[in-house]
Amino acid sequence: MDIKSIAKVTGAATVLLLSGCSGAFSTLDPAGPAAGSVLPLTLAMIIVALAVFVGLIVLCVFAVRRNSKDISDAEVQRLQNRWIIAGGIALPTVAITTLLAFGIPIGHSLLPLPFQEGEVMRVDVKARQWFWRVSYPERKIELTDEIHIPVNTPVDFHITSEDVIHSFWAPRLGGKIDAIPGRTNVVRLEADEVGEYRGLCTEYCGQGHTAMQFKVIAHSAEDFEEWLLQQEDSDKND
Amino acid sequence: MKTLRAHPLHLFAGPLLWAIWYVVLYSGQALGCETAPPPANAGVWTWLNGLLLLHTLVFAVVLLYLTWLAHRSTPAESGNGRFILKVSTGVYLVATIAVLAIGLQSVIYPPCV
Amino acid sequence: MTEQEALHQRFNKVWRNLPGWGTLAAVNHTSVGRRFMLTGAIFFLIGGLLALLIRMQLALPGQEFLNPDVYSQVFTMHGTVMMFLFAIPILEGAAIYLIPKMIGARDLIFPRLGALGYYCYLFGGIIVISSLLLGMAPSSGWFMYTPLSSTEFSPGPGSDFWLLGITFVEISSVSAGIELVVAILRSRTPGMTLSKMPIFCWYILVTALMIVFGFPPLILASILLELERAAGMPFFDVAAGGDPVLWQHLFWLFGHPEVYIIFLPAAGIVSTILPVFTGRPLVGYRWVVMAVILTGFISFGLWAHHMFTVGIPQLAQAFFSMASMLVAIPTAIQVFAWLATLWAGRVVYSLPMLWVFGFLFVFVLGGLTGVMLAMVPFNWQVHDTHFVVAHLHYVLVGGMLFPLIGGLYYWLPHFSGRMPSERLGRWGFGLVFVGFNATFFLMHLTGLLGMPRRVDTYETGFGWDWLNMLSSVGSFVIAMGVAIIIIDVLLHFRFGRKAGNNPWNADTLEWTTGTPPTMYNFASLPEINSRHPLWDNPELLQSIPAGEHGLTQIEHGRRETFGTDAITGKLKEVMLLPTNSWLPLLVASSLAVVCISLLTRSYLAAVVITIVAAIFLFRWSWENGGHPLAAPLGDKEPVEAPLQSRTLDGSGLWGMVITLLADGALFLALLFGWLYLWAVAPNWTLPDESLVSLPVMAWSGAFLTFATWWYCRAVKQLKAGDDTGLQTRFWVVTAAGAIHLVLLVGVTLVSPLAITELAHDAVLLVMLMFLIFHSSISVIATALQALRVRYGYVSKELPYEPVVLQPLWLFSLATFWCSVASFLLLPIAWGAA
Repeated sequence: MDIKSIAKVTGAATVLLLSGCSGAFSTLDPAGPAAGSVLPLTLAMIIVALAVFVGLIVLCVFAVRRNSKDISDAEVQRLQNRWIIAGGIALPTVAITTLLAFGIPIGHSLLPLPFQEGEVMRVDVKARQWFWRVSYPERKIELTDEIHIPVNTPVDFHITSEDVIHSFWAPRLGGKIDAIPGRTNVVRLEADEVGEYRGLCTEYCGQGHTAMQFKVIAHSAEDFEEWLLQQEDSDKND
Repeated sequence: MKTLRAHPLHLFAGPLLWAIWYVVLYSGQALGCETAPPPANAGVWTWLNGLLLLHTLVFAVVLLYLTWLAHRSTPAESGNGRFILKVSTGVYLVATIAVLAIGLQSVIYPPCV
Repeated sequence: MTEQEALHQRFNKVWRNLPGWGTLAAVNHTSVGRRFMLTGAIFFLIGGLLALLIRMQLALPGQEFLNPDVYSQVFTMHGTVMMFLFAIPILEGAAIYLIPKMIGARDLIFPRLGALGYYCYLFGGIIVISSLLLGMAPSSGWFMYTPLSSTEFSPGPGSDFWLLGITFVEISSVSAGIELVVAILRSRTPGMTLSKMPIFCWYILVTALMIVFGFPPLILASILLELERAAGMPFFDVAAGGDPVLWQHLFWLFGHPEVYIIFLPAAGIVSTILPVFTGRPLVGYRWVVMAVILTGFISFGLWAHHMFTVGIPQLAQAFFSMASMLVAIPTAIQVFAWLATLWAGRVVYSLPMLWVFGFLFVFVLGGLTGVMLAMVPFNWQVHDTHFVVAHLHYVLVGGMLFPLIGGLYYWLPHFSGRMPSERLGRWGFGLVFVGFNATFFLMHLTGLLGMPRRVDTYETGFGWDWLNMLSSVGSFVIAMGVAIIIIDVLLHFRFGRKAGNNPWNADTLEWTTGTPPTMYNFASLPEINSRHPLWDNPELLQSIPAGEHGLTQIEHGRRETFGTDAITGKLKEVMLLPTNSWLPLLVASSLAVVCISLLTRSYLAAVVITIVAAIFLFRWSWENGGHPLAAPLGDKEPVEAPLQSRTLDGSGLWGMVITLLADGALFLALLFGWLYLWAVAPNWTLPDESLVSLPVMAWSGAFLTFATWWYCRAVKQLKAGDDTGLQTRFWVVTAAGAIHLVLLVGVTLVSPLAITELAHDAVLLVMLMFLIFHSSISVIATALQALRVRYGYVSKELPYEPVVLQPLWLFSLATFWCSVASFLLLPIAWGAA
């Protein structure tokens, strides 16, 4: 096989892989800072996990193949301490520390902390069997299964439920949060580009669970203002 | 010189202390946030994180001391007693590590967000 | 007839099961363990069929093979059956079958309890499965989250089937747990110190203790939810001051330890098999013991990692995240101990080893994705997607099913005396292994592509189609593999070649009990000085059945085994084990009828049958000690050591203490629920003054304190060898306890508790019922003791039973004052502050 065909195969594989990663619900195709910051963590963890896995399998094959002559008990004792301390204690400790070094800053960046100046835009979402009721505080806008937000603006979604427990998830924008009766949970999401993003309920909530989907529509700043005015107009006309 | 007897209690006293510590840590954090939550943007250095950290350090020191005691008492025993103390040393040590690893999170995250 | 055969005849006469239908009265651990495993295997097939239905529905997008209603029943029952009716019971069955044989005992310590456990499991399982046949199975997920599982959103009897049936099964699990703990600690053959126990026993000891502490929170949660559904007591209803998340805490407080309860025995099988097929003792025995103990504890500190999306503060999530990652340390220690054993030894490739290799491959991968899931930001993305489905199957199938089938092939010659077919067995393994990875490996990707769990269908165009098709094909490959294994096992009974006594050249004592084993396991009980008795002393294979060791008299017709010190394994007493009995079946049947009456909401019948069950139980407790059906005084006393009913520190005391640990865990879970609702529930209200009359409680407590104190004094005197006036003293205790009980019941009846309107009042009622329940048992049992003194079943020569009852009085006393302090006084103090 010459270099050209290798390149071709690799290219084709990459295209296949990338197209395989996209999709309206794909966490591997992020469209906002929350989902975007988790993706490198995901990939890093997959690589580390696979490396550890392959290492262990190789070690196992090697251990089985070795077919030792009788080792003395003293040697086994040394082997035991070396392997168990290195593999059983040091390996997980190092792996966990590395993961945390990656993970903690990402966790921090996802916290819905108050801004130094001004307010975060807020959208209220109330889950019901089996739809999402969306409202914008201080504006008389009520929507169902559809959320409009401005692009490149952090939005705090205040999520609660009016009946059973649901879970609010727009995978390309960021992580999920449960909708629980009697509580309000906040998740901060932001869209990088104008467009339509799909979301769904991930906590089993009864027979309409599958159909309980919603859309997040990100507008440019001007379009969003216009949309708000439109909505309030139509509200007055009603 | 103080030494430990090879009592089977030592086999699980370490994680038992860990469990008690953990319950106090988790419920302390929850109750603190229920009754007098520090403001969300106060960051890490609040009274609540301070207390949780202190709680962690006290338990870690006690567990570390027990690890050391168990380790030091091992050579005096033989047979079953030696086995108990050797296992206990390891168990105390990992309990210490667990207390520190979990408890030190309280210097990383704000308490109630 | 040789001497050995004659000995066998004599022992068999005492130990065999009754013929014909009488086999239902069997209490012998070999019979009970076999029944557990066979029943578990049948439930596994049912759960597997349900899984195939799920995969058929999801094979193609937009299918309507199952409607959403049926689909929800199917996935709920798949999880429920696999977790509660297959995984735990079958492993307990294996432990019940193996543990006495490994520690050199003739039976488990409480044989009737084992039989009761089996019937509770069987009847509970049948009740749960029947809901499926009636088309009214539970449908809110095996986790039964409130409020979806509450009356408002699940009006049918589905949730009741789950709550009642599973609680019934859990009684069986807890009783097996208690029995195994006491058996391992108190009935090892002389000389077997803690450090010489087979490693499997360490795993089972820790697992059994985890069951004792881990199941009560779920039992409590199930009771609370059933009370909410049946009596309208609003524990999980926000409007009335409850909180649905309380259910999640209690459920996962059980649910996460449960994963390790399933994994540890299976890992124990691996640690047992590996050394046999490498010809080397397990490398790092001490390290593994340490790892097992640590796993047992740490697994109780992870439950909230199932709840990272419910909105717990990040700092608390970080605690649980870290604890979840830390559990990787004990697991890695075990993995490297196994690898080092492989390294040090010479591997024999046989069927059990294939499954061990499969286990290592699959389980390690599942463990690694487990560490990934512990990472909170990542968890927020993939929680409740198919990534988690893939992870949990890698951990549970890899960590439990693979070692279990490895163990099946390893101990098959022990069950039947014949060897399985190597060729069929390899095909079975190959198909299951390939099929499993085909089903679940790329399911990680399905999850990352955003496919949520528990959807009954999906649209095309999200990249999920081919992945689901692959998973479905894989699931049928697994089914083929399982079918081949079943055929192999069935055929081997007929065509397998004879196994001989120790076909794998194993090191542990169970291989000296014969293949298939005798009902009494050991004709003589050997003294053990090694961790690997059959390697260091192979002649045990002949000398044990020849009766060359201890406790060989059988002419008295009693079932006996040695009782030894928990730590040193020094001989302490001869334990008397009950023989065949119908009581377990009678008790379990009446409890099953109670269960069915509750399901059909005929509460009067339930009360009546409960009393019947209680009568059977007290009859059961009657046939002990010096009772003519047990061992009356002067009836050919053993020579090696005293009979345990003549001693003060018998297995009954240990059983009582372990039971009370489980009971205490239940009480703590109730206390947690109380404090949790108080701190967290948004509409929780405390009344201005105590609803329960404090003076009456104080009087009631005073009588209880007196009764307990008087009881302890009586026991102290008895221990000192003085039984004058014992009967009177017990009657005084009974009377004082009865007054306490009357006051307690009275105060419960007159307190103005609005149990259907306020969660606060409902919890108070549960607390009072808990106290009434324990005090009643203490009082009735003491009255029975007084009667037994009168009949001469209890005396200074037979001091065993009053000592057993003492911890129960102390427990009743402690929970009473604890409850008064935390449920009644603390709110007042808080209100005043």
